[in-house]
Amino acid sequence: MDTASETVQVRVEGVWKVFGRKPREAREMAEAGATREKIQTATGSVVAVRDVSFHVDAGETFVVMGLSGSGKSTLIRCVSHLVAPTEGTVELCGTELTQADSAKLRQLRRQKMAMVFQHFGLFPHRKVVDNVAYGLEVQGVDRQDRQDRARELLDTVGLEGWGDHFPQQLSGGMQQRVGLARALAVDPEVLFFDEPFSALDPLIRRDMQDELIDLQMKLQRTLVFITHDFAEALKLADRIAIMNDGAFVQVGTPVEILTNPADDYVRAFTQDAPVAKVLQACSLMRPLDGAAVDPGWPRVSSTTPLEAALPHLLGSTSPVVVCDEDGPPVGLLHGDDVASVISENRL
Amino acid sequence: MTNVTEARRKANGLLTASDSRLARFILAVGAIVVLVLLFRLFTNFDVFPESWDIGLADPIDRARRWLINNQTSHWLYTVFLNPITDVIDWGIRRLESILRWFPWYSYPLFTGVGLWWTRGRVAGVLGLASVSLIGVIDLWEESFATLALMGVSVLISMVIGIPLGIAAWRSDAVARVVRPTLDAMQTMPGFVYLIPFVLLFGVGRVPALISTVIFALAPVVRLTEVGLRTVPQVTVEASEMFGATERQTLRLVRLPQARPAIFAGMNQTTMLAMSMVVIAAFIGAGGLGQVVLRAMQSIEVGKASEAGIAIVIMAIVLDRFSTGIATADPGRDARPIKWLALAVSAVGIVGGLLGHNKFPESLNWQFAPYVDDATDWARDNLYDIGGSGIGTGPFSDFVTLEFVTPLRELLASDIPWPAMIGIGVVLGLWARGIRLAIGIGAALFAIGFLGMWALSMDTLAQTIVGVAITLIIGVPVGIMSSHNDLLRTALKPVLDFFQTIPSFVLLVPVITLFHVGRIPGIIASVIYALPAAVHYTDLGLRRVPAEIHEAAESFGATRGQRLRRVEMPLAAPELMVAVNQVIMLILAMVVIAGLVGGGGLGLEAVRGLRRSDAVGRGFEAGIAIVLLASILDRLTRAIADRLRPPAAV
Repeated sequence: MDTASETVQVRVEGVWKVFGRKPREAREMAEAGATREKIQTATGSVVAVRDVSFHVDAGETFVVMGLSGSGKSTLIRCVSHLVAPTEGTVELCGTELTQADSAKLRQLRRQKMAMVFQHFGLFPHRKVVDNVAYGLEVQGVDRQDRQDRARELLDTVGLEGWGDHFPQQLSGGMQQRVGLARALAVDPEVLFFDEPFSALDPLIRRDMQDELIDLQMKLQRTLVFITHDFAEALKLADRIAIMNDGAFVQVGTPVEILTNPADDYVRAFTQDAPVAKVLQACSLMRPLDGAAVDPGWPRVSSTTPLEAALPHLLGSTSPVVVCDEDGPPVGLLHGDDVASVISENRL
Repeated sequence: MTNVTEARRKANGLLTASDSRLARFILAVGAIVVLVLLFRLFTNFDVFPESWDIGLADPIDRARRWLINNQTSHWLYTVFLNPITDVIDWGIRRLESILRWFPWYSYPLFTGVGLWWTRGRVAGVLGLASVSLIGVIDLWEESFATLALMGVSVLISMVIGIPLGIAAWRSDAVARVVRPTLDAMQTMPGFVYLIPFVLLFGVGRVPALISTVIFALAPVVRLTEVGLRTVPQVTVEASEMFGATERQTLRLVRLPQARPAIFAGMNQTTMLAMSMVVIAAFIGAGGLGQVVLRAMQSIEVGKASEAGIAIVIMAIVLDRFSTGIATADPGRDARPIKWLALAVSAVGIVGGLLGHNKFPESLNWQFAPYVDDATDWARDNLYDIGGSGIGTGPFSDFVTLEFVTPLRELLASDIPWPAMIGIGVVLGLWARGIRLAIGIGAALFAIGFLGMWALSMDTLAQTIVGVAITLIIGVPVGIMSSHNDLLRTALKPVLDFFQTIPSFVLLVPVITLFHVGRIPGIIASVIYALPAAVHYTDLGLRRVPAEIHEAAESFGATRGQRLRRVEMPLAAPELMVAVNQVIMLILAMVVIAGLVGGGGLGLEAVRGLRRSDAVGRGFEAGIAIVLLASILDRLTRAIADRLRPPAAV
């Protein structure tokens, strides 16, 4: 939650990506406010990413959320430099990728970053263990070492004993665990996730999300995560960027986005969001400002989800006291406020 | 009323398109009729004038004589061609002697174990038995010659083809050159490749090998390229993201994933090489093909059948092996086969050291005499059953007199040659446009200038009759098989079998029944092309989506209506592809049938290969075959394109 901290690991400044023959004209039209369709009919070029800037701090989970065609997939490819941006700079762990030659880029990829793909991107001709060991193999790690490391990671993601199978013999969820293990095997500082769970069944998707949260607690890596699922974004993100038509519409914490959507586009997503799960007591409380606190009122901590505070509010007219982590009360949560947020959300 | 219709037509682009297509077709037919009538009434251009023959044969013959005289002295030979010849010849000899060193029983064993592993126990036993049969009928030695030539041809095809495929995948510029070249190479009947190489190298195994490689190269190049192109992009991205170099990605990710496609290409290449190596007996390639050829020339049907069977066995075993490898499941535990392979190798080496390399004569048994007896019986009894005017002989006469000869005369002389060219041009214009029309016109003129007009029309007539018979039988069978899974399953092995057999061998059973002449060629070509007709018809109809069937049914269409109104029009482009394939296969076979008295261009080409003083004419015939093949191929493909519904915008 604390964003004003530590070192910045990914810094993206003014990135544009235009596919087609006339990037300059297309860009000029885009800057003048033309829509994607208009630009395409006029220039034959597609503006996939328009003037995106952001930074991600070490250990932070940054989620880019957008619908299909919003340019999020192209954006993550620009950031990981699988696709060269038309304009702008991308800086990763202090090195500017846009300036790096192919050897430098290769070195960065071997040491600093890894990616998990939407359709897993596993190598069907290699056993699971050789899939996981691939990153080490291209670095020239010898066979025994890389296999040991790969099996270790398979244990971490809960796939012990599956190493000698081929990917297609595994279920979708298991395949994506392999994808995750493969990315983690090279011990990257930055992990890119390109809609990693969208091809999975809802229940398995939820398990994988939970597991990713657990792993991230332990590993504390920098994650850049792409999704089209707003609930997933709320669940995983420290900060979310909502993307539409190639540009960022709003960047903020889940709470900021839920409580203060920038425009109707963002508001449309918040309508169906599980507000009571995401919002915490502190996000809706009214500051205490020296008001009196009845010792009989129930108390909750400031990070309690609304969901958990609801039982205290139902059937009672008195507010709930919100306390700081150390104990002193900091605010009051009123039933009316909660009701209005939730009902607005449901409408 | 008219306005309403008009408006509706305008609203519906598809309708307008099909209407104008019909109008253009009627116009084309009308133009052809007028053209023929005009020339018939007002001119006496019947046969292409002989005086227009540019006489390409003479310079070719002169070149041939010059080449023979300078074979030992000129730099072209001493520096360039002779070393090539020597290296290739050495390679073939070397491989042959290695193959011969192993004990005879290692081959049936190896085949049995290999097929057992890849295709199951029954295939293993059949493989073991059938390979032994080759030795039993005393064709062991000849088989080695064929196998060695095959081996080197396939090896060279791989060595050239895979890198070429990679190059074509990597560079669009290379692909732009390679792809049409391969297309053209596949269009041509394999037989014509022999001619230029005989001219250059004389007869022998080296020209046989070179023409085999050229004939067989296309699939491996094409499928290597396709295999690399279809590697999922995401796996390539994954590899890149791990910092793999381009070379690492190619070696570790792209090529392994393209492997099934490359193996499929190798399989097709092997089968094409097999059929070509057999045909190459015409230019002294030796081996089993030679046995068939000699036996056919002296009408020893029994001997020809034996060699034919040996060839079929070899082809099927090679096919099953290479498809087995191509479709192998990488997840399967390979340890048992490793042990078995080790055991077979041990047996092979021990037996080789002991010198068990000759197939024991005591096991020999020939079935040729029985086949000869059967042939004699067939000749005496089936040729004209009881003097009744029914039998294969009268059948041949009937087809010849009623169809082939009249059609030949129609094409060669009844329709004046300028009208023939006009028909070609109009068809080209209708099917695609001005460029195809000009191409067809030029090709037809060229055939005339080569002095091959009459012979080409003879070949064309045979081809048309063959195509007609094939389609009359094949399309209904294909329709039935598309509606009946049981029939399809039953037909599959039969079709596979006929597609595996080298074309040349099909002539053997046919001449037992029909003697020599044009008919056995046509019948063999029908047998050769039938699987393609059935397969493509079935495929085309099956590609019609199920929901379209359901939609048609929901409107209460009968089966016949559904077939005529919905399925056939939708499958029309595929059916035209079937026609295209059938025409090319029939033409290839009709040309080879020159050997058994088929006449036409094929006979001329065969003569050119066999007699050094006829090389020039043979060369001209070869060019005419290529031109004819190209015209028919381009025209049918253009028509197939026309029949495709307009693409989505």
